[in-house]
Amino acid sequence: MHLSSIPILFAQMASPDDIVREAARLQRNYEYLSYGLTVAWVILVIYVLLMVSRERKLRREIASLKAMLEDRQKA
Amino acid sequence: MNENSGWANKVLYLAGVVAMVILARDINVIARLPQEAQQGAIFKIIFFHVPVAITAMIAAAVALIASVLFLITRNFRYDALAVAVTEVGLAFLAANLVTGSIWGRIIWGQWWAWDARLTSALVCWILYAAYLMLRRAVEEPTQRATFAAVWSIFSFIDVPIVIFSIKWWRTQHPQPVFWGGGSFPPDWTAVFLWNMLALVLIATVMTVVRLRQEDAQRELDSLRRTAHAM
Repeated sequence: MHLSSIPILFAQMASPDDIVREAARLQRNYEYLSYGLTVAWVILVIYVLLMVSRERKLRREIASLKAMLEDRQKA
Repeated sequence: MNENSGWANKVLYLAGVVAMVILARDINVIARLPQEAQQGAIFKIIFFHVPVAITAMIAAAVALIASVLFLITRNFRYDALAVAVTEVGLAFLAANLVTGSIWGRIIWGQWWAWDARLTSALVCWILYAAYLMLRRAVEEPTQRATFAAVWSIFSFIDVPIVIFSIKWWRTQHPQPVFWGGGSFPPDWTAVFLWNMLALVLIATVMTVVRLRQEDAQRELDSLRRTAHAM
């Protein structure tokens, strides 16, 4: 018997339950891989959004303070 | 906006676009790679989990150098660099912890294990989060920068512990692929290195943007002082 025929023999011996279980394991593996990558990207995207919001706030505050200082100088 | 900052902006945007193109290409390539024999598809998380960890450790090293330079020169540019790179590193380390936890759920059957690698990485995250909290707690700029620099240097003690914990102690965390006796097929190594390059580029772009915000914050503080004085 050739060694290469062992997986074929195993596949023939595996019960339908084993095949279903293995398919479920593979499915779960892919699901968790997608969760992992999604969550990691979400963390980085949230950080970028926080930076964008901080940038806007800083620009707004600088503009309003500059306007206020100009008004005071004119007065 | 002067001519130099215009060029700097263009280089920054270009670096960001290049990084995103590399990552988009890599996601496509990684999806097509065959499954690892023992772990299956979840093993592919390594293409993200390890590069974000290395990027976070590089960020910690840059923060250490900037903090030391601040204490020597008292130049606030170094303080700004330290806070910018620490914040970005913290986001990357968070991504590393989360991806590791999800991998552990499949391979170990549990979300978390209190082994030396995981625990030291969590402690590292907490130390650098404390650095940012400390900065918010101190009002006076010179005092804030000095305390923060000392804390950053202290926090870095944990970084070699995170890196070498898997060599120093028996851990549930697996040994590294590249210096733990394992190996990747050459095409997998190429994808890994491209991903690494893209993530370091993204971290660099984020750090430069954050550094500019520190400059803007200093301008705002100066305007506030002028307004109070008038």
